[in-house]
Amino acid sequence: MEHLMTSIGSHLFLVFGLLAVAGAVSLVFSKNAVHSVVGFLFSMLSVAACYLCLSAEFLAVAQLLVYAGGIVVLFLFVVMLVELTKYKESGLFQRQTAWAVAAVTVGAVAFITVFWKTVFGPSATVALTLDAGLAQGLDVATQNSQAVSRGMFAGYLLPFEILSVILLVALVGAVTLAKKERV
Amino acid sequence: MASMNTVLFISFLLFSVGVAGVLIRRNALVILMCVELMLNAANLNLIAFARHAGTVAGQAFALLVMGLAAAEVAIGLALVVALYRKRDTIQVDNINLLKG
Repeated sequence: MEHLMTSIGSHLFLVFGLLAVAGAVSLVFSKNAVHSVVGFLFSMLSVAACYLCLSAEFLAVAQLLVYAGGIVVLFLFVVMLVELTKYKESGLFQRQTAWAVAAVTVGAVAFITVFWKTVFGPSATVALTLDAGLAQGLDVATQNSQAVSRGMFAGYLLPFEILSVILLVALVGAVTLAKKERV
Repeated sequence: MASMNTVLFISFLLFSVGVAGVLIRRNALVILMCVELMLNAANLNLIAFARHAGTVAGQAFALLVMGLAAAEVAIGLALVVALYRKRDTIQVDNINLLKG
C-alpha cells in the first residue's frame, strides 16, 4: 500500500509538471497576449499542484495567492491597458530566432549530459526533519506552515526584513514610473 | 513521492521554455512572464532540494523568491506602461535606445 501511494504521488507530480510545461509552451507560442496570460495562469496553477505533491502545502497556497491571485491579474490589467492589436501583424518572434533556438538547444544538451551523469537517490521519505529546537512540539508532517515560519523567522529573519524593504522600494518606484508627467 | 530526477527534469523543461521565450519573443509582457517561469523553475528546485536534504530552508528561500518576483513584476509592468506612454509600443525591437 505504501509503495502504491508512493508510485501514485510520483506519477501525479509528473502529470502536473508536464501540464505546467504545456502551459508555458502555450504562453510562448500564442499570438494573442490574453491567451499568453491564460497559459501563464495554467502553468502557475500546475506548479502549485506540484508543490502539493512535494508536500509543501504552505508554498502551494502562497503560490495560488501570489501568482494566480496577484501577478496574473496585474498582467491581464496591463495587457488590457496597452493596445496590442495594432502590432499583431508585425511578427511574433525576433529576427534572430534561429540563433536563439540553437543556443537554447546547446544549453539543453549540455544540461542533459550533466543530468544523466549525476544520480540523485530517491527523495527523503520523511517530510521535514528540522533542528531539534525548531521542531519542538510540532508535527512536521501536518503542520507545514508552522514549520516553514519557524525555519524562516528563526534562521532567515534578516533576509525577510530586507525583502520587505525591497518591496517598499519597488512600490515607490512603480508609482514614480507610472505617474503622469506634469506639464 | 516524486523522485529527485523527475523534479529536476520538469524544472529543466520549465526553465528552458522560459529562456527560449525571453530570447525569441518581441512582446515585452511575454518576456516578463517568461522570467516568472524561470523563477518558478528555480523555486521547484529549491523545494525539492530542501526535501532531499531534510530541512525547511529551501521552502523559506522559495518564499523569499516569490516576494522578489512580486517586486520585479511591479517594476517591470510600470516600466512597460511608461514605455507605452512614451514610445507607443511595447515591441522590444522598437525600443533600442537608452535615450528615449
